[in-house]
Formats: sequence, structure tokens, C-alpha cells
Amino acid sequence: MSAGNDVLLAVRDLRVSFGTGDAATEVVHGVDVTVARGQRLALVGESGSGKSVTARAVLQLDTDATLTGSVRLDGEELVGAAPRILRSVRGRRVGLVFQDPLTALNPVMRIGWQIMQPLLIRGVSKREARMRGIALLERLGVQNAPERFDDYPHQFSGGMRQRVVIAIAVIAEPDLLIADEPTTALDVQVQAQVLALLDEIADERGMGVLLITHDLGIVAGFAEHVTVMRHGAIIETQDVDSLFASPREAYTRGLLGAVPRIDGDSSVRLLSVDEIAVAPAGAAGAAAASAVAAASALADSDQGNPA
Amino acid sequence: MIRYIAKRLGLSVVVFAGLVVLSFVLVQILPGDPARTAAGRNATAAQIAAERIKLGLDQPLVVQFVKFVGRLLQGNLGTSVVTHRAVLADIVQVLPSSLELVVCAMILNIVIGVPLGVFAAYRRGKIADAASRILILLGAALPVFWLGLLLQLLFSSTLNWLPLYGQLGFGQHVRSMTGATTLDALLQGSPSLFWSAIVHLVLPTVTLSASFIAVVARTVRSSMVTTLDSDYVTLARATGASEFRVVVRHGLRNALIPISTIIGMQLGWMLGSTVLVESTFNRTGIGAYTVTAVLQNDLYAVIGSILTVGIVFIVANFLVDLLQLWINPRLRAGLTPRAPRMTPQPLIAAEVAS
Amino acid sequence: MTSSRIDAIIGIRRRRVSRSRRRTPVLEGIAVVVGAIILIIAVIGPWIAPYSSTIVDIGNTLAPPSAAHWFGTDATGRDVFSRVLTGARTTLGATFIVLAVTIVIGVLVGTVAALVGGVVDEILMRVTDIGLALPSIILALGVAAALGPSLTSTVIAVSATWWPGYARLIRSVVREVREAEYVTNATSLGVGRLRLVFRHILPNALDPLYVQVSLDVSSVMLVISGLSFIGVGAQVPSAEWGASVASAAANVTTGWWALVFPGVAIAITGIAFNLIGDWLRIRTDVTLKGGAK
Repeated sequence: MSAGNDVLLAVRDLRVSFGTGDAATEVVHGVDVTVARGQRLALVGESGSGKSVTARAVLQLDTDATLTGSVRLDGEELVGAAPRILRSVRGRRVGLVFQDPLTALNPVMRIGWQIMQPLLIRGVSKREARMRGIALLERLGVQNAPERFDDYPHQFSGGMRQRVVIAIAVIAEPDLLIADEPTTALDVQVQAQVLALLDEIADERGMGVLLITHDLGIVAGFAEHVTVMRHGAIIETQDVDSLFASPREAYTRGLLGAVPRIDGDSSVRLLSVDEIAVAPAGAAGAAAASAVAAASALADSDQGNPA
Repeated sequence: MIRYIAKRLGLSVVVFAGLVVLSFVLVQILPGDPARTAAGRNATAAQIAAERIKLGLDQPLVVQFVKFVGRLLQGNLGTSVVTHRAVLADIVQVLPSSLELVVCAMILNIVIGVPLGVFAAYRRGKIADAASRILILLGAALPVFWLGLLLQLLFSSTLNWLPLYGQLGFGQHVRSMTGATTLDALLQGSPSLFWSAIVHLVLPTVTLSASFIAVVARTVRSSMVTTLDSDYVTLARATGASEFRVVVRHGLRNALIPISTIIGMQLGWMLGSTVLVESTFNRTGIGAYTVTAVLQNDLYAVIGSILTVGIVFIVANFLVDLLQLWINPRLRAGLTPRAPRMTPQPLIAAEVAS
Repeated sequence: MTSSRIDAIIGIRRRRVSRSRRRTPVLEGIAVVVGAIILIIAVIGPWIAPYSSTIVDIGNTLAPPSAAHWFGTDATGRDVFSRVLTGARTTLGATFIVLAVTIVIGVLVGTVAALVGGVVDEILMRVTDIGLALPSIILALGVAAALGPSLTSTVIAVSATWWPGYARLIRSVVREVREAEYVTNATSLGVGRLRLVFRHILPNALDPLYVQVSLDVSSVMLVISGLSFIGVGAQVPSAEWGASVASAAANVTTGWWALVFPGVAIAITGIAFNLIGDWLRIRTDVTLKGGAK
């Protein structure tokens, strides 16, 4: 884990709204996110917290979204940048791994073609793109890569498809990888494999990773820093160990407490986030304390355990 | 994949069989007594009876049906009571002219309809979309026969830009080899005749294709809207592809599936619509032929036309089914069943509830 | 914030709601008003027409539009405006009769096919396939030829060729509704089959039906007027719009009004009902997703 001091991605006071005029709704309210070169940041939150929107806003992929604030990649401002610049950033300096490999791949195009696209549009020869694509697939653990290169998405299993999606994201050798819930649509075992793969690739290439997820389980083993979001705003940001050991905010405690533990007492009801956040006193307070304890134990046990 | 082809082929056969049955039924219920017609107007009762036996009309219906089918398979569509020639021969002579018109209209259809639909989908919600949709609405609601007359009025009588009717200029003749004027002119090696044929095709083509363009544009728009919303399009964008590339290279291919279906069906519908266009423009073709046949009670000619158009329709759809195999790799693997063609078919054009 | 916006925000993959859903439906409102006016005219047309639509007036042929004759007169001196008004009843009357018959037959066949299933379903589906295999104008020509040219035979012919589409539509919707929870609940409560059909299944299948009928007004009208134009449908001297266009064709250069106005009537009617149908479709679309296709 290289810990460069260079700031790769600096998001400052980002506001994202959808719709126009009276129907305009602000979904992300002044968010700050920082990812240093080679660093891993997990952006955590429930559904609807705005984490996905924030991540996609980096590449301005939602065409009906309005952005204000600053998104700097390697010092270069992306908000309000010319389309030409955005296009050059996409794929080449920032790669995006999608959540659902089933829908993320074009069903009528061969996967090889899809993998080669980021290179072909940048003038790489077809032969070289093909070579690199096959090599990358092999590196990602796809058997028989040369033959499978010309297959269609429906001929692959979920885990394999996700490897293809990862290949598309990293083939142009970006500096930053944004992974939007990359394992949510996968089986538990496959989740572990895919995360391990992301880990290795990021390491090998010194890529920074912005991991979007709601799953605290994978955060512990993967990320170095964690930013927690709720309702479109940042709740707290810490390095992963501190977060699990002593979360500053009640909401975070609640999140941690809501994670079921395999060795937890099944007779104790899991707390919902709102309970913690709203009423820390009395019985709930005691419950909160135990939740924190449970969370710390969780962090401890996961410490030496890569996801 | 084999199963898919077999299934579509089977369906085509079933439909054709149904058509044959339908034709037979129509023959039975059409007024007029074929025996009497064959025997001539001044025939005696005995002569008519003899004719009846000769034509096999005294046999039970089932036997007649079998013979009917037998004749059909031999290519015998009966004799026209008007021209006294074999219906098949008549149709073969006039069909190419209609096909010529339909092909031109289909080309115009695709060339205008597809980009229009893509454009409207891409600019969904903006003014350009609204404008396209108004055009589409107009195209679908204007009666074909009326449009033809209007265009004649405007471009021919008033502006004098284009010929009023006919397939060639006044006094021009071309040796009929294929039956399609443009091809014949080419085969004869006469550029001026060819050009004249093309010029005479302009108004009929525009008339015929107007409403179909509307439907195609609508279908394209709606399937592109779905496609453009999909994840793989966003992914394509995320790799840095230009908007054009994203829409056309990544997106359109998917939309081609429903688009090709509708275009295949339109081929048959266009051929049917020739009944409304050919007479207006004084063109020969199966449309004009059918109209004349109906008005003159030319029984076998009518049946023959129905069967011919039906066959073209069935064949066109089967070819589209095969095309789908090429477009959609999931079909090749035997995965997705093709969406059933079940929406009430628009006729001259108008809505397909897509 | 609409639910669709929330979905978009939290990233649930949902088809985006068409934008026109949110603006006030001015265009559609106009369409409804126009449609209503047209329907009213269809009913009372002949009574409010200023002149007769059939009596010829040789002294006044092909007079251009004026205060006396708003749409001018045609080649035999008849007032075009009156003919358009009168023709509304003929054209639209025929259209709605066709639609009514089509709906009845289609719903019947479709429901039976969907509920009975099995061999009956297969056979009915093959029959509809055949019906859908031909452009309806050709089939209608054949039937009209068999029955002799008249408006009646046109109505019969078009109905005969149009119902398969509805049968398919209803069948598909009923099949979907049949699987729905409230139906299985009702069944488990012992609700009788017929009651099930009428009280529970059919009402929910009606939405796509409304949409399709509205959209089909234009199509059916075009077929009927087209057949009349050829001479196979409404016969001279009927004021049916298609027949009017046909009779005006011969003199199109000297009297464009006789040609233009009946055609405009057809076009406006078609546009109005198409807009209505579109609007209905958008409004019912959320429930229709994945349904009647």
C-alpha cells in the first residue's frame, strides 16, 4: 500500500441536484472527499445516502445532474470542464467499475470488443488492443482467455462478467479506480474473489481506489480510509481502524451496530440506525454501548483478514 | 438456434396454410357462379351443369379443397375473368413494379425514420424531440390516399416540379424485361429513361413511405430511449467514448432488434398500401391490379393477390427472423425467446403500441 | 419529490419517467376537447349542416370557400362543409362500430385463450397469427369483394381483420393479471371463476385496452376511408370522408377545397385521438411495464 502524499482526487463542497426549476432537488449537499495517489477510500452509507451520485459526479455520468463545487483530478478542475477534457479523463485517468455486471455489459457485443474500446478510441491498434485485452483477462483469472475473448456476456457467469467489467475499467491504465458497489450483485464467495482481485490490481498499478459500498464487512479489509455519508452529507471521515474502534458519530456507531456478527448473541436484537442516532440515553444508551463494543470486536477480528 | 429457425418456419407454414384455407373460403362465398361464367352467358342449364361437373364443383367441399391446394402448389391461381389469362401470369407481370416502389419507399423509410428516431431519443425532452414527435404524429395520421393527391396538387399541378402520374414520361416506352421500370431502363442501357423512371418514382415513394416513416421513427425512438438509459451505455460513456460513438456503436445495435422486426412487418404492409397509391399515380402494380379485380368481381384475381401479398409478408417476416439471429447473439444460443408480434397491426401506418 | 426521482437517486435501476408526465398536458387537453367536438359532430352532424350533403346544384359547382359556403362547393355543387359534417357520422360511426365489434370479439377470444389455456389457446393463437399475418387492407379487400362493395361489408371486413390484435392484447394482459397476487388470493377464498373474471381480472385488463382503442381510432378510420376511396366501401353519393376525397380527385386542380377539407377532417381526428391515446398510455404506463407487449 503505497502512501503517496499526492492528492489524486479532491472533491470540495460538491452539490448535485436533479431536475430544473421548481422541480430541482439537491441530492448531495456540499460534500468533501479526498483520495490520495495509491490510497483506498471507502465511501459508505445506506441506500439513498448519495454515495453513488457523488462517485458518478466525478465523471459527470448523469447527464441530467447539475453540479456545483469543485472536483479536481490531479489538480485539474472537472466541474464545468469542456466535454473534450471529460472524455479524455474517462477511462484513461479514471476507471469505473459498475455494480451489476449483468446490465453493465452490452448484450449484443462481444466482450473482447467492449474491453478493447477504451484503447481503440485512443488510437491503439486493434492487434495491440486485443493482445493487451487478453493478457488482462488472464491476469484477472479468466481461463481460456484467448478463446473467451470473442464470447458474449451471456456466456459468462456473474463473477466472470465482473472481471470483464474490471478489465474494461483498468485497461487504459487509469490512476483512479471508482468501484460502485462492485460486489453487491455477486455471491458471497465470488465477492471475496473479486475484492481480492481489485486489491491486487490496485496494488500492482498503484491506483487509488474509491470504493462505494453499503457493506461494512468489506470495508474493513479493503479500505485505508472511510468516509461515511448519510442523506447526501458527510457524517465523518477517518482511517479505517479508528473508525471501527471509536466511531465519532452516533450514526456511525449505529451502522456498525447494525452489522450482524457471526458470534453475536442472537437473542439481542440488532439495533436500527435511527434508534442509536435519536435516543442515546437510557436503555438505548446501554444498547448503544454494547453495539459499540460489538463493533470494536468486529474490527479486531477483521483486522488481519483481507476480505 | 435450430429450434428457433424450425419454430419460425413452422409458424410461417401454419400461417400460409391458414391463408390458403381463407382463400378457399372466400372463393366459396364470393357471389357469382363459376360454372355459369365459364359456360358463357347464353348457356343452357344443361351446359352449365356440364361445366359444373367439368370444374369439379359437384364434388364434396373437402375434395374441392384438396384439389384447390393441389392447383395452388402447382402455381395455378386460376384464370382471370377479365383478362382471360392465368392469374399467376398477370401477377408476375405487375408485381415487380410494386416491388420497385416498395423498395424505394423502404429505403426512404430507413434513411429518414431511423436517424429521426435516434435523434428524438437522444434529445429526449428537448424541443427537437417535441418537433420530431409532431412530425411523427402528422405522418401517422394523414391518410395515404389524400397525401398522394395533395402532393400531386402541390408539386405537379401547381409547382410543376414533378410529373403528375405514370411511370415514364409521356410517349416514352421501355422494353419490359423485369417489369420494374427502373431496372428495365437500366437493362436497356438508356440513362434518360432511367432518370425519367426515377423522377416518376419520387411522389409515389414519398406518399407511400410517409406514414411508415412515422411508425419507424416512433419505434426507434422508444427503443433507443430504453437503450440510452441502460447501464452499458453509461459504461461506454465512462470509457471516454464520444457521444456519437456511444449512441450509434454501443446503443443502436441493441435497438435494432425491435426495429428490424417492425421494418420486416412494414414490408408487407407497404405492399398492401399500394392499393391506395398506385391508382392515384397511374402505376401498374399489384395494388392497382387488386383494386381493379375487386371492382370487376374478378374472383380468382382477388384471391391470387391476397395470396401473393400474404406470401411476401410471410417471407419478409421469416427473413427478418433470420436477421434477428445475426443481430442478437442471445438468440443464437437459444436463450431469449423472440418477443411475440402481437400488437394490433397498423395498416397504412399509425400506432404500434411499442 | 416523485418516487421516480428517489429511485434515481438511490440508484435503483428503473426506467426513467418520461418528462412529459410532469408538464401540464396542454396539448393533450386540446386533443380531448377536439376529440369531444368531433364526436359531437359525428352525432349531430347532419342536423346542423347548413346545406344538404346530397342534393346537387349544377349552377354552383366548384365555388371557392366563401361566406355562404365555408368550405366551398364540390364538382356537383354540393356544399363541402355540409358534406364534411355529414360524413363525420358515416366515417366515425363505421369506425366505432368496428372498434366495438373488435373489442367484444377480441376480449372474448383473448380471455378464453388466457384462462382455458392448452390446446384451445394454441389454436386460437394460430388463428390470430394468421389474422396478423396480412395487412388488413388486403384481407378487407378480399372480404369486401366477397360481400360486394358497400359500407356494411367494409365494416364487417375490417372487424374481421382487426380483432386478432385485440385478442392477443387481452390474452397477454389477462395472463399477467391471472398470476397476480390478488387473483390467487381471491381464488383461495373460493371466489367463483366467472366472478373472478368479471370482478377481478377484466377491470385490471382494461387499461391497455383504453390505450389501444384510442390509438386505433385513427388506424381503423384510415382503413375504412381508404377502402371507400378505392370504391369498395361507402358508395357514391355518401359523404364519407374517404369517398369525398375520391370524388374530389378528378377535379383537384380546379377545386382544391373539395379535396383538402375532408382529408383535413380525417387528419385532425386521427391526430386528436392519437394524442389522447398517447397520453393515456403514459398515464397507465407504470402499471403496464412488461405487460401487454
